[in-house]
Amino acid sequence: MADISKKTEGLADLLLGSEAIGRGALEGGVNVVASYPGNPSTEITEAIRQVAEKMNIYVEWSVNEKVAVETAAAASFAGLRGLSAMKQNGLNVALDFVSGISTSGSKGGLVLVVCDDPSGITSTSEQDSRPLARSLDFPLLEPGTFQEAKDMTRFGLELSEKIGRMVLLRSATRLQHARGRTLLGALPDENRKAHFDTSKQYVAFPSLPRHVAAKERMAEAKEICKDSVFNVYEGPDEPELLIVTCGSCYLYALDAMNLLDLWDRVGILKIGTVWPLPDDLIKTHMAKNSRILVLEEVEPFLEGNLKELAAEWAAEMPMPTFYGRRTGPLSDTGELNPDIIITAFMEILDLTYEARPPAYDQQAKAMVEKLVPPRSLALCAGCPHRASYWAIKNAEVLDTRDGFVTGDIGCYSFGLFPSGYSIMKTEQAMGSGPGVGYGFGKLGQFDMQQPVVAVVGDGTFYHGALPALVAAVNNRSNLTLVVLDNGATAMTGFQPHPGTGTDAFGHPAEPVLIEDICKSLGVRVEIVDPYDSVAATQKVLEFMNDEQQGPRVLIMRQQCALQMARSGKLYEVWVDQEKCVGEDCGCNRFCSRAFKCPGIMWDAQAKKARIDEAICVGCGVCAQVCRHGAILLKPLSAAQGKDS
Amino acid sequence: MGNKTYIRGQKELRAEVQDAGLCTGCGACVNLCPYYATSRDKTVVLDVCDRAAGRCYAFCPRTPTDLEAIRQQLFEPQDLTPELGAVKGFYLTRATDADIRSVAQHGGTVTALMSLALAEGIIDTALLAEGGGSDLPSGVAVRHASEVAKLAKSKFIAAPMVEAFNKAVLSDAQKIGVVATPCQTLALAKMKMKPFPQNDSQIDKLHLTIGLFCGWVLSWRSFKELLDEKVHQQAVVGLDIPPSKYKTMQVETADGLIEIPLNEVEACVREACKFCTDVTAEFSDISVGSARLPDGWEVAKGWNQVIVRTAAGEALMQLAKDRRVLEFREVPEGNLEKLKRASVKKKKTALDNLACKSGDRDDLLYLDCRDPVFQTFDW
Repeated sequence: MADISKKTEGLADLLLGSEAIGRGALEGGVNVVASYPGNPSTEITEAIRQVAEKMNIYVEWSVNEKVAVETAAAASFAGLRGLSAMKQNGLNVALDFVSGISTSGSKGGLVLVVCDDPSGITSTSEQDSRPLARSLDFPLLEPGTFQEAKDMTRFGLELSEKIGRMVLLRSATRLQHARGRTLLGALPDENRKAHFDTSKQYVAFPSLPRHVAAKERMAEAKEICKDSVFNVYEGPDEPELLIVTCGSCYLYALDAMNLLDLWDRVGILKIGTVWPLPDDLIKTHMAKNSRILVLEEVEPFLEGNLKELAAEWAAEMPMPTFYGRRTGPLSDTGELNPDIIITAFMEILDLTYEARPPAYDQQAKAMVEKLVPPRSLALCAGCPHRASYWAIKNAEVLDTRDGFVTGDIGCYSFGLFPSGYSIMKTEQAMGSGPGVGYGFGKLGQFDMQQPVVAVVGDGTFYHGALPALVAAVNNRSNLTLVVLDNGATAMTGFQPHPGTGTDAFGHPAEPVLIEDICKSLGVRVEIVDPYDSVAATQKVLEFMNDEQQGPRVLIMRQQCALQMARSGKLYEVWVDQEKCVGEDCGCNRFCSRAFKCPGIMWDAQAKKARIDEAICVGCGVCAQVCRHGAILLKPLSAAQGKDS
Repeated sequence: MGNKTYIRGQKELRAEVQDAGLCTGCGACVNLCPYYATSRDKTVVLDVCDRAAGRCYAFCPRTPTDLEAIRQQLFEPQDLTPELGAVKGFYLTRATDADIRSVAQHGGTVTALMSLALAEGIIDTALLAEGGGSDLPSGVAVRHASEVAKLAKSKFIAAPMVEAFNKAVLSDAQKIGVVATPCQTLALAKMKMKPFPQNDSQIDKLHLTIGLFCGWVLSWRSFKELLDEKVHQQAVVGLDIPPSKYKTMQVETADGLIEIPLNEVEACVREACKFCTDVTAEFSDISVGSARLPDGWEVAKGWNQVIVRTAAGEALMQLAKDRRVLEFREVPEGNLEKLKRASVKKKKTALDNLACKSGDRDDLLYLDCRDPVFQTFDW
């Protein structure tokens, strides 16, 4: 990542959207950054973390998003500037507190950066966070360029401090992960001290008068933002079509305009202060345009609000014809791109332009199929989660009571897919594996006979599983909870969690061990190595059949295979092709087809299995899976003493 | 002659046998590959295999089977009877050794014969059932004659003996003897037909099959619940069902005999047993069951009825006679006919049940309505 702490004011740098937000936070004098990782938000905090120590900024990867916003809010209450970054799912976790601070207000500049994921590319939803700004009375900024990503963050901290309310900054995947030219501003010299003014209260009750006050603060924000530089019009005075857009759609619209050479016919009004809206500016442009195309990700938030304004102004001007995600021709789901916008232009302006020849997709698909072997979403070679799922799957079959797995979010979500033997049957939110599993465990009075195994990752255990576990103890839910403990928040890039014993900077932290928590709750807890396939299967089976009432926790502990790939293989692994049964009855490619580790290949010429040495991490599980003793292991010195 | 045979794969086995309630849990599909296992009295599929044809399907006693072809290949034509399969000889026997009789079911004939076969080197490994009652039964391999008696007694729950066989052939065992239920003897017979020429050689290690007369077996799970209810925590020493007029199961416990009404026990019968046409284990070398005598049950329960079916079976019986391992008693007139009637009754019931299940008298699922045996009686 780029060093975002350069003191080269006035010079341009090529920054990721996430780095630009990080730089904006520095320029805005942020003191405390507390976040929870999750794509596409993670790199914001990571960029700040890298320069935090020398700039005396406190950065933490919080236990969950709610605690993250609470931590940043505490800084604000103490007169410091705080920022918290998370993905849209994370905002939901934080929402109860976010709702509370909406009523209570804040003091020092406080920005909540929420990174949405249109099309849900790496998320369980493509939820649009913006309606929250309206329902909870927060100013909402939505950067359309890298420059704005930086500038709006700084502005957001200032605006927040000015009006005593948290500000939402909404980014999205494409902006976060692309790089663009960004003019750097000055880094402040200020050295704030934390002090809580005890003559003040930041409380959410009584709520009605505080709601009234919130509306007044929002009116102030509206006044401040009315002439904001983030709201820009480009185009002819009286265009045939007005585009109103915000966020990353702005750059798509520019691309489409340039490609179709529409600058004489179409104008673009880019809105940066998406809530509260700059009514006067919009009114001026709406009065001059009978056709308006609204481009935004994902919900028709802007479109709806514009229509509402148009209805209010119905006596003063004719109602324009609107185009957008609600009215069409744009879809009301999925991410936009320049091609989609070009297609919309063609329809609205009756143009003929081939954004992409119809045969293109087919040709591209055919080429890809020829060059790239088919691959499904899969756990990495040697992933301990695969070994755990193998054991759980076998235990559930051997149990014969039609058991199933409730799960949630993390690398182990691949339990949904064939890579994890499709054993995960429910998956919603972080910690909902244990939560839903707890619920199933209470269905005994309705003759529920099936055993439930809830899975949760180690990071997620701290993040969202504890209340369900406490409830399971309290209400004696018949639950087997398996903690898939790979010693890392692996999916988002190995951030620390309360069990890792390190903080965001790699300095020692006080580890809070899962087994200690369970013991303190009086829960039966044991640890098993999922790489020991038979023992792990037996242990799961035993836990599923534990007849004592209440939950029991089995920790399946083995370090993430990506770590192992760095630290060295446990075993050298190879296939004795003489012993390999191949496709014949008695095996039928059991290791590669049923066990499915990508480290095992099918040697089509020899019609035998083979190990892909490039990606095999030497976990040795496949040697236990092969019934014919054809997969052989030699312990390697790198592994010696590792587990001691 | 029936010819309804074909070999398919795991998917069809699951649909036609397991999901159809025909699986006997014999374990013929287990230990051939990593895809199947026996767990808690059930045959389970651990992973999906996409082979179009597999030994699992070929060996299963409840996939389409040409019974007549097996009869013709494994037995001498002059011995074949429509009611009981091949009959070379019919005897009433008991173990000479009173110690065996005291621990064995009825006359202890099976125990005596297996011990003899091991002692004489006719087999080097005997596969016997262990457990039963509340405990899950399993097949175990025994190498010494002295160990056989420890595993005597009827289990009433079928241990997956064919699974045990498939495991034993992978060991250093060369000559294997198996004590099996009728469905299990059929699986072993299907294996002897070698439908997969490249990898069926292991069946040649099977040197002796002693079949057990079997009206049905119990589903472990249901029977365990019943036993838990009736016997509570007392240790079960033995189980027996006297002739049908008694309408009871006798449970011998450390604290004495407990009787369970037979209708309650029959409610626990394994679903698949309704579709079985074989009461006397027709595909074995020797079949053994309880005896019926005019002297009454108290005497009869000390004896066994034995059908010798093959030359190998005949040789073992002769040896048992020569070595005085078995005592023989004259077979009362009418006993064989009575057994034939019982056998035909079971065949009729099973065929009716199969026709009822398929909804078509011409479709007997795993059996062929053109089988000559089924033409010899009305059903």
